[in-house]
Amino acid sequence: MAVEVVLPMLGVTVEKGSISEWLKKEGDKVEKGESIFVVEADKVSTEVESPGSGVLAKILVNEGIEVPVLTVVAIITQAGEEIPEDILAKAAPASPVPEAVEVDAVASATPKAEPLSPIPAAPAPVFSSGPTVQSGPVRAVPAARRSAKEKGLDLAFINGTGPDGVITCRDVENAATASRPKASTLAARMAAQQGLDLSVVAGSGIRGRIMRSDVSAFLDPSQSEGPALGQVIPLSNVRQVISRRMSESAFGAPHIYFFAEVDLDPLLAFRKQLVPQVEDAFGIRLSLNDFLIKAVALNLLDFPLLNSRLAPEGVVINPQVNVGLAVAQPEGLIVPAVAETDRIGLVAIAEQRADLVERARSGRLTLPEIERGTFTVSSLAQYDITLFTAILNPPQSGILSVGQTQDKLYLDDQGQVRSKKISVMGLGVDHRIIDGAVAADFLQNLKRKLEAPAFSFSHL
Amino acid sequence: MREINYADALNEALRECMTADENVMIMGEDIGLYGGVFQVTKGLIEEFGPKRVLDTPISEAGFVGASVGAALTGLRPVTEIMFIDFTTVAMDMIINQMAKMHYMFGGRGRVPMVLRTNIGAGRGTAAQHSQSFHSIFAHIPGLYVIAPSTPYDAKGLLIEAIENDNPVIFVEHKKLYIEKGPVPEGRYTIPFGQAEVKREGSDVTVVATHAMVGRSLIAAEQAAQKGISVEVVDPRTLVPLDKETILTSIRKTGRLVVADEGHKNCGFGAEIGCLAAEEAVEYLKAPVARVASPDTPVPFSPPLEQAFIQDEKEILLAVEKVAQYA
Repeated sequence: MAVEVVLPMLGVTVEKGSISEWLKKEGDKVEKGESIFVVEADKVSTEVESPGSGVLAKILVNEGIEVPVLTVVAIITQAGEEIPEDILAKAAPASPVPEAVEVDAVASATPKAEPLSPIPAAPAPVFSSGPTVQSGPVRAVPAARRSAKEKGLDLAFINGTGPDGVITCRDVENAATASRPKASTLAARMAAQQGLDLSVVAGSGIRGRIMRSDVSAFLDPSQSEGPALGQVIPLSNVRQVISRRMSESAFGAPHIYFFAEVDLDPLLAFRKQLVPQVEDAFGIRLSLNDFLIKAVALNLLDFPLLNSRLAPEGVVINPQVNVGLAVAQPEGLIVPAVAETDRIGLVAIAEQRADLVERARSGRLTLPEIERGTFTVSSLAQYDITLFTAILNPPQSGILSVGQTQDKLYLDDQGQVRSKKISVMGLGVDHRIIDGAVAADFLQNLKRKLEAPAFSFSHL
Repeated sequence: MREINYADALNEALRECMTADENVMIMGEDIGLYGGVFQVTKGLIEEFGPKRVLDTPISEAGFVGASVGAALTGLRPVTEIMFIDFTTVAMDMIINQMAKMHYMFGGRGRVPMVLRTNIGAGRGTAAQHSQSFHSIFAHIPGLYVIAPSTPYDAKGLLIEAIENDNPVIFVEHKKLYIEKGPVPEGRYTIPFGQAEVKREGSDVTVVATHAMVGRSLIAAEQAAQKGISVEVVDPRTLVPLDKETILTSIRKTGRLVVADEGHKNCGFGAEIGCLAAEEAVEYLKAPVARVASPDTPVPFSPPLEQAFIQDEKEILLAVEKVAQYA
């Protein structure tokens, strides 16, 4: 029987995606569970596995074309089987879908489902394609669960290859013995052609998978260097997303900005005292950003309005406080968020932050980690930049920009000239939701928290 | 060792027990002059006379009740019900009297009685002479339920049943009566609650009863050619059940198929499947599969009856299905 291959649901707010690479050609044999294409959506690339075995009879959506999620992108048939007319008829055309028919295309790709009004929350880190997009609990046979537990493996990150995609004992064994990341078909082919040993190439795909771009960047490092004069750089998917979202935010949400000088001496002294103790006890080094993230989270509890987003039904105060940290990487800025920042301690924040930043740099973040942010901290403290403004990261309504730490002279109580370390912090807010007085109050309170660290961080 | 068939092995067990103990007597419909419809009791009336080999009227409730009384008062009756289908007529005697007396009298009365009967479709005897509802008796506390699959097991288990002081439902299988196998001469017994691994394997456990044991061994051979190693476990007695042997096998292979000729719904396969779920779930690598008769009456039409009977083909399919869970 013919099997429809659909563009998988990629996350809560992702509506569209494009196939950046077909790993199989029309007429190729495919096995259920084998990667058949790479999908790019909102800055994240994911390999998608075949929902069935047979022959890739027809590719309906070519590389680089953006289509709504759940669009039928290909059809797998058994050898000798004709492609059923009804599937062809309802499949998406192989060209961009006009805005007006998107809803129909989504609805027709899932004939039995009601029109998809709210997009189901499916923050599963492993994506599967096909009509059986998994959103429920992980499906694994009991012995595989036991084995994964013994080996300390998280089943959520193991692909099931058993009947109906269930995780079998062998899947767990394979996951345990996978000593190094796998490579995509094209990456492997390119490496073989160039006589390159893949074990020396760092992977940027999901779970460190080595992609074609990694191999080409390794072979020709000049590619990853800066642009040359006269060069036209095609917009990558990531750049397109940044471009679209920044425009939406800058021109859709009226920004207002506030600046305050924060005296960092107390916090720097506090941190200096804490760092060796925390390092001894927990093996992690607290950065200034960790304090900043925590202070912002605590301040958001005092000013929930800045932890909100504007929605058709009104101003939605987000139920969680997840403070995001902007991370620069060659392809563009990305903002992973520390989960439940208000509830966890500095050590847990530092651990999450270190992990998120590291994975952001190697392109291994999951969509939920990027999408869960409710407020953003953007720091250019390592640059010689006094102050700067930042564009809100939609749909958030607040962003804190942190400039360099500098020495400032001032007169003390006795009229003596002294110096202190200060940083100019900028707060950008969405004026549709937040008025100037509220924003000023927020920034002033944040300043107080940072200037009285012992008090702020001890009442956690 | 000499080979004799299942019916002759049972006949030999009866003869040896009747020779050894004058309290052992048999009764049932057409078991005397005719020798029983499956010739299990042939020649016994000539040897032991009509007082110990009693041809009864067609009155199951009556002669099962008489057997309970005889057992309570010192005899060791081995009573035959021609087909398991006819036990329904005597259910009060079996379930409320035979199974309960020892308990109701506070242990001061014993019912050392064996009720022999048989299951199995495939002889064109239609819906009222072909049923396999032995699991009903396994549901009733107070009854041993025996399920021999070979001539060897048939003789050893029947002698054990006759010598046992408790009521035993001894369930034979119609299609097995003519099957031959090695059987020692003279007395030997097989203890109740001792399963036998009829074939060792490492990938899939098939717990099989009665004729399903032989069919499973054929399926296991076919599976071996496809690279699947099948272990066949025969419980031999459904009550008491040798859980340990079954669980040991499940823990080894992680995959379970239960093949029993009873209907699927609430059948013996459900019991074994649940045993796996209750006591070995963390070892299961695949869903449990049951090979059982469909939940319909046994058809009379020969092609339909053949379709109804689950054999090595269905067992092999089930084995392959669970083996997909690598």
